[in-house]
Amino acid sequence: MAETYPINIWINEERFKALQEAGLGNLLKEELAGMKVLIVPCNEQQRDKILKLFPMAKYDAATTKSIELLPKAVKDKIYDMVVKRKTLNVMDEFIKEVEKG
Amino acid sequence: MELIGHGGKPLVERVITDKAEAKKKIAGLKTMPASRQMATEAIGIAYGFFSPIEGFQKKADVDATCQKMELADGTIWSIPIVYDVSDKEIADYGIKTGESVLLTYDGNPLAIFDIEEIFTYPKEEIAIKVYGTKEEKHPGVARTYAYKDKFLGGKITLVNEPKVREPFGPYFLTPRQHRAKFAEKNWIKIVAHQTRNVPHSGHEWLMKHAYIAAHGDSPVEQMETMGKAISGVLVNCIVGEKRVGDYIDEAIVLTQDELRKSGYFRDDIHMVTMTFWDMRYAGPREAVHHSIIRTNLGLTHHMFGRDHAGVGTYYHSYQAHHLLMSIPKEKLNITPIYVLEWAYCPHCGEVTCIGLCGHWKELQKFSGTKIRSIIMDEVKPTRLIFRPEVFDVVVDSAKKYGFGSPFVTKDYLEKAKPAFSIAPL
Repeated sequence: MAETYPINIWINEERFKALQEAGLGNLLKEELAGMKVLIVPCNEQQRDKILKLFPMAKYDAATTKSIELLPKAVKDKIYDMVVKRKTLNVMDEFIKEVEKG
Repeated sequence: MELIGHGGKPLVERVITDKAEAKKKIAGLKTMPASRQMATEAIGIAYGFFSPIEGFQKKADVDATCQKMELADGTIWSIPIVYDVSDKEIADYGIKTGESVLLTYDGNPLAIFDIEEIFTYPKEEIAIKVYGTKEEKHPGVARTYAYKDKFLGGKITLVNEPKVREPFGPYFLTPRQHRAKFAEKNWIKIVAHQTRNVPHSGHEWLMKHAYIAAHGDSPVEQMETMGKAISGVLVNCIVGEKRVGDYIDEAIVLTQDELRKSGYFRDDIHMVTMTFWDMRYAGPREAVHHSIIRTNLGLTHHMFGRDHAGVGTYYHSYQAHHLLMSIPKEKLNITPIYVLEWAYCPHCGEVTCIGLCGHWKELQKFSGTKIRSIIMDEVKPTRLIFRPEVFDVVVDSAKKYGFGSPFVTKDYLEKAKPAFSIAPL
């Protein structure tokens, strides 16, 4: 299986309920004593584009092996897209939208 | 009473506290402004945080530090403490070997610098020997390459003590003051927790693990009775140069203190202080430097976890442990306590040491970056992994000190007041 470089979107109670009501509860994983997280996969190319578009973010190669420190506003847009499309595979579309401005 | 510091040598204290005497000593000296980096280090030297060095290093010491991880006299030393200067500054300020200059900061007198040597040293040599890499993306290497072309070596005498602003004021103690506090508490065994982080439960358990290990061969009655503890945990926060995305220093210091205030540590076994030091992220070499500083503070034990003072993937997870193990015990007068990670195990339903738990495949590892990510997403972590009182202090610190963010932003770098200032003498 190809390596992925995920973006973790942590989910609060309110969003958790909304996702469950939309039938998307199955997209969530549970981590760290019951916290809910939406793990949005990126391939290597998408990872590099995200890091270029959002220089404050970093790929944590040492511990989490994920793209971290993306601003909340950016993650909110990815979250909205996941809910709208009902799939985790949204990164190509998201990157295109950001590049369009 | 003479206090003994690193290398079994007297603790360095080069501070003139009498203002009239200080004014007399600096009269007629040429002046040279010190950068924040250099002022921070001058203060560290003068109070003895870096004992036995008495000033900025001369070439023989820098060379021995790089090549042998020692001072020229054979004392273990791992990171060069240098004062960089340009040819133009040497000319403009009339710097000459054998003379003294007055370093100023904020336009006010800071310290007398006896210029004993002006020298050059190859920066790449410092990079490769101290950091193990020549890559400029390593922050310690970047700092090294940014040094100006010459170095000044010689003794430092502080003539004007720093004013440490709130909320840091009560947390800044000199090595002598640390020792006085330990004596007041009757602490005999004191274990250091080095930090530049807001604590999650993984950190809390590392501290508890280290405390129990340090106290291990002492009578349990001295641990059992409230107020009678003879061992303590000193959380010594590193306050210095920040990078965008780091926790703000106010949040670090105040959340660490909250662990005790909220009872996760008893009042008589836990204490928080801070040391001014710009992290070099030198991994194993920095671990040795931290041992030296904490020896000078009067500690007996030092906890070292995974990737101590590392950055990126430059060092192996436990490379610092291996370097420390290679140093003869008599050369480093502090006992290292090596600790493995603690993680959340859903099977056990608790935070546990990864070296003890058999549910390897189920373990959910802590990571500072992951916790930062949770906080950035404005989600309150579960209490098993992040104490709610600590979370409240994070939120409060963001409002009070971080311009709305608990993390260093451009705004914070531009607008936050420096942790210390120098007033007119």
